[in-house]
Amino acid sequence: MSASRVLYQMARADFLERVRRYSFLLTLAFAIYLGYATFAGHILLRLDDYRGIYNSAWLGGLMALVSSMFLSLVGFYIVKNSIQRDQDTRVGRILATTPMTKTFYTMAKTASNFAVLASMVAVMAGATVVMQFIQAEDRHIDLWALLGPLILLSLPCMAFTAALAVLFETLPLLRSGMGNVIYFFLWSFLLVGPVSVVEKNRPIPPSAYLMDFGGIVSTMGQMQSAVRQLDADYKGGSSLTVGNHEPAPPKRFVWQGIAWNQPILLGRVVWISFSLLLVLIAAVFFHRFDPAREWRLRKATAAPSAAEESATTVEHGSRAEPATIHLTPMAQARPRYSLAALVMAELRIMLKGKRWWWYAVAGGLSIACLASPLENARGGVLVAAWIWPILVWSSMGARERRNETESLIFSSARALPRQLPAVWIAGVVVALLTGGGVGIRLLLRGDFAGAEAFLAGAFFVPSLALALGVWSGSSKPFEAIYTAWWYVGPAHHTPGIDFMGVSAASSEPVVFAMAAVALVAVAYWGRRVRMGYA
Amino acid sequence: MKLRIERVSKQYGRGPWALREFSLELAPGVLGLLGPNGAGKTTLMSILATITRATEGRVLWNESEAARNPDELRSVLGYLPQDFGVYPNLNAVEFLEYLAAVKGLDAAASRKRIDELLNLVNLADVCKRPLGGYSGGMKQRVGIAQALLNDPKLLIVDEPTAGLDPEERVRFRNLLSELSGERIVILSTHIVSDVEATATEIAMISQGRLVAHASPEELLQRVEGRVWEWVLPSAELNAARQKHLISNTTRRSDGVHARVLGENPPNGAHPVAPTLEDAYLYCLSQHRTAVVAA
Repeated sequence: MSASRVLYQMARADFLERVRRYSFLLTLAFAIYLGYATFAGHILLRLDDYRGIYNSAWLGGLMALVSSMFLSLVGFYIVKNSIQRDQDTRVGRILATTPMTKTFYTMAKTASNFAVLASMVAVMAGATVVMQFIQAEDRHIDLWALLGPLILLSLPCMAFTAALAVLFETLPLLRSGMGNVIYFFLWSFLLVGPVSVVEKNRPIPPSAYLMDFGGIVSTMGQMQSAVRQLDADYKGGSSLTVGNHEPAPPKRFVWQGIAWNQPILLGRVVWISFSLLLVLIAAVFFHRFDPAREWRLRKATAAPSAAEESATTVEHGSRAEPATIHLTPMAQARPRYSLAALVMAELRIMLKGKRWWWYAVAGGLSIACLASPLENARGGVLVAAWIWPILVWSSMGARERRNETESLIFSSARALPRQLPAVWIAGVVVALLTGGGVGIRLLLRGDFAGAEAFLAGAFFVPSLALALGVWSGSSKPFEAIYTAWWYVGPAHHTPGIDFMGVSAASSEPVVFAMAAVALVAVAYWGRRVRMGYA
Repeated sequence: MKLRIERVSKQYGRGPWALREFSLELAPGVLGLLGPNGAGKTTLMSILATITRATEGRVLWNESEAARNPDELRSVLGYLPQDFGVYPNLNAVEFLEYLAAVKGLDAAASRKRIDELLNLVNLADVCKRPLGGYSGGMKQRVGIAQALLNDPKLLIVDEPTAGLDPEERVRFRNLLSELSGERIVILSTHIVSDVEATATEIAMISQGRLVAHASPEELLQRVEGRVWEWVLPSAELNAARQKHLISNTTRRSDGVHARVLGENPPNGAHPVAPTLEDAYLYCLSQHRTAVVAA
């Protein structure tokens, strides 16, 4: 069989395995929603007082921007599980015994990731055509103007995202939840980086095109130039807003589309080349399902060797003979169903297995919450203190499925009304342990509103983690959503979405306390559904 | 102490029935549940362990319906699933302490019990190591220990010897025999020798239906006079398989010694004492023939 055929079959099998899961339908639903949100004006591209009329060029550019920006974020989290799946299904061990090279494998996984992301782009392309007809501002379909930006801007962006997801999976630190957090910041940098090179009212430098990961410079930059030629008073502002409630820009202009110049095309080639480079780097780090390497990467005590196991056998040479059983009868001891004991046990599972420096930083942040000036503690240290345990919280509700302990736990008496609350309480305890100093000091100062906001946050964060974990069975949604929310909300003191109440102006304790209650109820319901036998 | 399974059926979604009108009544002792892969054993175990609900029928523990009051059954249940996981960063003691807390056991009593169980399953020496470093067989032994944590009255073990080495397998069989006195043990497996060594009763399941329920002796009686040993040239073995139900073959210098099951022996065959494996294969073949005829 030729190499290309092998590569095709590997990528195809992986792609089919994904698209035949229900989760893929959710993925496509998300792509359709993005198209709808753009059509309905919830996602709005404006250039101060201007927007383009809805012709093929404008819609193509707009959709390219939307798909590059959103799919490169959400899509990354969706596809960053292809190697893990081979691990979980044990198919990887079969593949490892074939002549398949590591480069071949990472390339096939990247191709499969790309196929998934490209299918989402294709759905959005379809939505764009429909949108142009419905909006009816210009019904002439110019296919190249419509699809060109999606093909030349979005697809290279998806290729890079696909390859980056594979690279993250091969690197021990980035494979875990830490990688999910880090990616958010990397994504922000990749998108915004090239924009910072562009100076207002100056020609776009070629370097900006080369760095243009998401195609922002290529589209918005050229749109700005077009408006500038129309209106000398145009200040050069532009924005792509989500959840927009402002009135639409009053002025319209006809945009003819992207002028595909050499720097833009070269930039796309650069990002495709980077993708291939990432595939090669990933191949270097790929463990090829070697249990010894996998284990070492998990940073735990070495597995017992065969010799050690046989030593145990020798030591108990007569063990095959009938065992003399001396077991303390438990029948007399009535079940006590102590919630406190269960909370402690859950806390131990949450906090066990971290490296020493994790505890050191958590302890440092906890002390800083107590010792630093209160305003700094509330506005800065608490923000840091409540991002640090993100990987502790993200396992809430998902751990039982991920570690396949559901059947052991769910077959225990009163598991639903005891174990789930115990997990939630343990999550709140983590929030109080890391940031509790701020709450205590707000209380001591008599700032009850501040203390309320703090408490609402301490309840809200684990509730969000629990609900997302129970329903998704994965820690990834919380890691992605919480990081983005934390960055946009508390880290920027944004009113309405600041769940920590880092300042009096931005805090909304009642909203987040109610949200916490609702999320716990959602988690409880989800677990009940999951157990099917509460 | 009684477990009653009344006309239990299970259908996953709109797919085929995994279990169909399965009825059984159990008293203390070891029930060996035998059946080929995909027969519905794990589905039945999951229903009995209150992991999933039956689509039809009911399960009664001491006349209390498990679907209405699952906690009554769960409080006396020890369950070793076919597939289960562990928390890799915990050691065996911590993991068992966690499950003892989930089961609502008294901390002091469970601590003593955990020490005893770890000795029993031969893990005392490695009980402080993270579970992530355990081999498959060692994890299986942790699973056995957790199933016995609460001194269960109903012990359900699904393919318990999977991954165990021969010595551990024998040890586990002995353990089951000793535990069976005052409790109901259900041992689900497709390994006949596991059942042969421990079971006081055997239930055979095929295509989701109960094929036979009897003591091992009764099952052996059913095939008495229907098992034959036939020596034939190895070149004729394939043709013989087309005509007869052959449960086992052994190659020797005089040819292939085949165990043939059936009413009519081939020419030259002589009767031999049946084994439980013969009885199992005979029952399954009778059931399949009946299904085809129906």
